[in-house]
Amino acid sequence: MSAKTMTSDKKITLQPAGPTDATYRSIVEHAIEGIFQTTPDGHYLLANPALASIYGYSSVDELRSGVREIARQLYVEPTRREEFLQLMNEKDAVWGFESPIHRKDGSVIWISENVRVIRDENGDVSYYEGTVEDISNRKHAEEQLRRAKEAAEEASRSKSQFLANMSHELRTPLNAIIGYSELLREEAEDMGEKSFCDDLKKIEKAGKHLLDLINGVLDIAKIEAGKMEVHVEEFDIAEMLQEVGSTVTPIIEKKGNRLIIETSPGLGKMQTDLTKVRQSLFNLLGNAGKFTENGVVTLSAHRQSDADKDWIILQVRDNGIGMTNEQASRIFEAFTQADSSTTRKFGGTGLGLTITREFCRLIGGEAAVTSTLKVGSTFMIKLPAKFSAIGHEPAAITSFDIEPEVGHAEQPLVLLIDDDLTIHDLVKRFLHKEGFRTICTQYGADGLDLARRLQPSVIVLDVMMPTMDGWSVLSRLKSDPTLSNIPVVMLTMVDDKAMGYTLGVDDYMLKPIERVDFVGVLRKFCDQNNPGTVLVVEDDDTSRELVRDLLEKDHYSVIEARNGLEGLERLAGIVPTLILLDLMMPEMDGFEFAAAVRKIPKLASVPIVVMTAKDITSQDRSRLEGQVARVMQKGLYGRDELLTEIRSHILRATSTPLVAAA
Amino acid sequence: MPKLLLVEDNEMNRDMLQRRLQRRGFEVLIAVDGSEGVALAKEALPDLIIMDMSLPILNGWEATRQIKSLSVAKHIPVLALTAHAMAGERDRALDAGCDDYDTKPVDFVRLTGKIEKLLQGSAAS
Repeated sequence: MSAKTMTSDKKITLQPAGPTDATYRSIVEHAIEGIFQTTPDGHYLLANPALASIYGYSSVDELRSGVREIARQLYVEPTRREEFLQLMNEKDAVWGFESPIHRKDGSVIWISENVRVIRDENGDVSYYEGTVEDISNRKHAEEQLRRAKEAAEEASRSKSQFLANMSHELRTPLNAIIGYSELLREEAEDMGEKSFCDDLKKIEKAGKHLLDLINGVLDIAKIEAGKMEVHVEEFDIAEMLQEVGSTVTPIIEKKGNRLIIETSPGLGKMQTDLTKVRQSLFNLLGNAGKFTENGVVTLSAHRQSDADKDWIILQVRDNGIGMTNEQASRIFEAFTQADSSTTRKFGGTGLGLTITREFCRLIGGEAAVTSTLKVGSTFMIKLPAKFSAIGHEPAAITSFDIEPEVGHAEQPLVLLIDDDLTIHDLVKRFLHKEGFRTICTQYGADGLDLARRLQPSVIVLDVMMPTMDGWSVLSRLKSDPTLSNIPVVMLTMVDDKAMGYTLGVDDYMLKPIERVDFVGVLRKFCDQNNPGTVLVVEDDDTSRELVRDLLEKDHYSVIEARNGLEGLERLAGIVPTLILLDLMMPEMDGFEFAAAVRKIPKLASVPIVVMTAKDITSQDRSRLEGQVARVMQKGLYGRDELLTEIRSHILRATSTPLVAAA
Repeated sequence: MPKLLLVEDNEMNRDMLQRRLQRRGFEVLIAVDGSEGVALAKEALPDLIIMDMSLPILNGWEATRQIKSLSVAKHIPVLALTAHAMAGERDRALDAGCDDYDTKPVDFVRLTGKIEKLLQGSAAS
C-alpha cells in the first residue's frame, strides 16, 4: 500500500469505530498482540482489547481515556519515547523496539513494538501504527541466564583463586609435617628404633605424596585461571636433555631400568619456557620409569621443519606395561591414570600428564601418546623451537609423528640399529628422499622392541655395537616367530659374509655405505620381497602351517593366531595387509573376531578373507556381510587360486602405489 | 664448625631447620626478621646466611641488599629460600645479591648440598 493510498484512507481509520470491514474488525478485536494507532503527541487514536489488557486496563475505552501522554505514563525510561520518535524520523519503521513500561497498577513489564509511520501528502507524520507484544517472560529468562552466567564465571574465578591461595596455605603446615618426620626418623635411626623408623617413613612418604598433589592442583588451578606465565629463554637442547637425564636417572633406575638419551646432530637451540619443557620431560620420564621394570627408557629429540616453523619433537619411549587404546585415549585427562587401581599400585598423583599437556599447549605445542599393551608406550611432545606469544596455532600431532619421523603409513619403514649417530643421519637423509620412513636406535634391545611394535619392512643392523652386538640382535630377530620374516640387512666394516648368511642375514652391505647401492638393496626388500603381512587366524595347526608355508614361499610375512582372541592380541601392535580367517574356532570364533576387528578404526580397511570348511548358511552370510571381503570354501580352491585371491585383495587394499624410484 | 645464620620468621620452619642443621654439625644462629638478620650478620659474621625472603619488618631481598653493602659482611654467601618455584623468584633473589637460592618446601639433602658448595666456594676465594 503506497503512502498516497494510506493517506486517502486516513479519514476512515481516524474514526473511533476503526476498520469498517467486519473481518478486519474481528482480527483487530481478537488479536493476541496489542494493536494501536497513536498521534505524534502521544495519545491513542485506536487500540484493541489485547493492548488494553497488556497495559493492565479493563477496556479499550479505559486505556484511551487513562493514557493521555504515552511518553510519561507508559515508558519507564523518560527518554524512551524521544528515542522512538527519533528512530521513526530516520527510518519510518522500527522492529523489536524493546522497553520496560508501567502498567496501570504501577507494575513494570517489558514490551516489544513493531511500528511504522503514516505520513500525509506533505510528508508530515499523521500517526503511528503498530503492534505490541508482552516479552516479560523472555526478558526475565534472559536476565536469569545472564545472572547465572556471571555467577558461574565469578564462581570459577574465585574457585581458581581460592585453590591457588589454599594450596599455598596447605603447603606451610605440610612442610612442617614432612620436615619433622624426616627429623624424627633421623633421630630414631640414631637411637636404633627400627619400628619408629618404618612408621615415620610412612608419614614422610604420605606427606610428600600429598605435597605432590597440592602442587599439581595448584598448577592446574593456575592454568585454568589463566595465571600460568611463560618465561622465555634460549637454551641448548642437547644440554637440556643431558641435564634432565641426569636428574631423573635415579628414579628410572629404581626399577632396574636403563635410561638412554638419543640426540640427533643439528638439534641446536630452543627459545621457550625452559622450566615447563623440563617439567614436562620429568613427568614423562618419571611416568615411564614407574610403569617399566628392568627395561629401557629412551629419551630422544629431533628437529622437524614445517613450511614456516621449526618444531622440536621430544619422545619418551619405554618397554613397560603399556596401555590399551581406550586407556591411552583418556590418559591426559586429570585424575585418570589408565585405571583407578593404577594409583594404588604405582603411586603418583594422576595429574602429571594433564599438567604436561597443559604446559605444552601453553607454549604452543601438544603432547600425545601411542601405546601397546604389554609392549610399551611412546609419549611425544611437539613444541615450536621458538615460542611466539601472539597468534600461535596449537600444534597438531598426527599419529605418524609419534613413531617414524617422516612419511605416511603406506611408505615402507626401515628400522636402523646402529650405535653410530652419523650413520643415523646419513641413512635418514638417503632414505627420506627416496620415500622410505625410518626409525633409528643405537641399542640392540631397543631395536628388538621397536621391531616387534612397528613390524618394519626391513631392518638395517650394524655388527659392532656396545652392550648387545649385531650378531646377538640378529639371532634374536631370527628366533622370534613374529620377527623372523623381516628381512635383515647387515651393515658393517668387517667382511664376514659367510657368518652372516649362516645366521640368516638377507643381505650384506659394507661401510662406508654408498647411496645408490644402499637404496637399491632396501628397495628390493621393500617393494618385492615383502608384498605384505598376513595374519592367519586358524585353530587347526596343520591347516595353519600349510597356509603359512604357502604364503612365506611367496615372500609374505605371516603372523599366526590360534583363535579370535589371540588374533586380537596380535593386532594390538600391527596392522596387517590382510587377514585370513577360519570361522569355527575355540575361545572366539571368526564371526566375533571379524566384528571386533571392524570396530577398530586403524583396521577398518584391512581386507578379511574367510577360509572355512563350514557350510555357509544364508544367516552366516548376512552376519559376515560388510565385514569380510571374500568367503572361500576349504578344499574347493588350490594353492594358486588362494594366492591369486590374496594378491588381488592386497592390491586393492593398498591402492596407493609404493613410491617409485627416483 | 661452620657458623650459619638462619633468618626465618615461621617458628616451625625455623626450629626444624635449626635442629636438622645442628645434627649435621653446623652451629646455627637465629634471626626472626630481616632487620635482626642484618644486625646479627654484622655482629656475629657467620660463614653463611640462609635467608627466607618473605620476612616481617625488613624483607629478605632488602636485608640481603643491606648485608651485601656492608664491607664487613659482603663476602658472606647468602642462600635465599623462596616459597615459589617460579622462574622470576630466582632472578629476584639473585638480583638482590643472593649467591644461590632454594625453594620451599625444603629438600634437606638438596639444601645441604648447596650449603656445602657455597661454603667451599667462599673458603677457596
